[in-house]
Amino acid sequence: MNAVLLDGWRDEEKAGLLPSLLGALAQAGAQTEVFTLREIAIAPCLGCFGCWIKTPGECVIDDDARRVARAVAESDVLVLFTPVTFGGYSSLLKGALDRMIPNLSPFFQRYRGETHHARRYAHPPSLAGLGSLPRADREAERIFKTLVERNALNLQSPRVAATVVSCEGRGEVRAQVGALVEAVTR
Amino acid sequence: MTQKRALLLVGSPRGIDRSTSGRLGSHLLAGLEERGFTVEKVHVHTAARSAEGIEDALAAIARADIVLFFAPLYVDSFAAPVIALLETIAGRRAGAGRVRLFALVQCGFPEGAQNETALAILERFAAEADWEWLGGLAFGGGVNQTPFPRQALDLVAEAISAGEPLPDQAFALVGRNPIPAWLYRIAGYWMWRREAKRFGASRRLRARPYAD
Repeated sequence: MNAVLLDGWRDEEKAGLLPSLLGALAQAGAQTEVFTLREIAIAPCLGCFGCWIKTPGECVIDDDARRVARAVAESDVLVLFTPVTFGGYSSLLKGALDRMIPNLSPFFQRYRGETHHARRYAHPPSLAGLGSLPRADREAERIFKTLVERNALNLQSPRVAATVVSCEGRGEVRAQVGALVEAVTR
Repeated sequence: MTQKRALLLVGSPRGIDRSTSGRLGSHLLAGLEERGFTVEKVHVHTAARSAEGIEDALAAIARADIVLFFAPLYVDSFAAPVIALLETIAGRRAGAGRVRLFALVQCGFPEGAQNETALAILERFAAEADWEWLGGLAFGGGVNQTPFPRQALDLVAEAISAGEPLPDQAFALVGRNPIPAWLYRIAGYWMWRREAKRFGASRRLRARPYAD
């Protein structure tokens, strides 16, 4: 099983959950490729749709996002690791996700009662979102989980799970991370 | 009487004049200008290209009484440069305790409800930045081909100017999509084929470059 982990933390020290997350993935039998987004170059999406109508399946910008998109296309599990930012992802993580749309087809289809883009590849990855907050915040957590679920609908992921951990609940973090990984790898 | 100041923030990579967000935002801004507001526009992606651009955007926010945020849906949220600006605004407490925020979000899917998570993120931003959230309109693909969004924004301009809540009629106007979802999906097929034909790519739209 191949997993891709997108680390959307701007500050290495704050990304302290990474060893637990990698440990849980290894225990589940996943070989994980980590993209530390603060260390690679990903330009903002141009919104040009070139990845659909000029060079279908590949972004017109030649930077590290192409490498990430290829890895995601080949993965079984995609893990999003981020500080919860207004209930959503950090701008760093969002910049990488914006550049993943070449992995979808431009064509529309009805999927679970809504219109979504058709999948480009036969086996889209399951999706896990691990967000972190300085303190427990139910509303931010609700938005984060909804966002991950919405992303999974767009990806047509076979499995989806999202967890938000907080410094206040430090003792439970390992169990939360383990349950998250299990939900998308079992 | 001091003139009120309205700032339009456009979060589309296509710019202000070439994007649906920019054109609709400019329509609302013109409505407020007619009602005596001093107006200003900032294109987020342009501002985000330099530290100076960000400082100029923050200065415009510091001058504003109301921010009109118009953006397309981007992977169930907003484009990364928009999120980055929101992070900076909240971190620097720009406009805290003073600015009022109105938003419009639109997506390329026929169901306007697909914008709800993005609006929730923006409302959450307003709470964390200590801005007053006035609410937001959202609509799906096809609605921008009708007069409804502009009609709704005329009502919004009137309400903002009068200091009243957003009228229900504005939500109702953008909530009706005259194009059924099934027809929108079929039209999308032909539209993408036609667009790709311009680049000689219409037969490769389903290519899988990473499937080797």
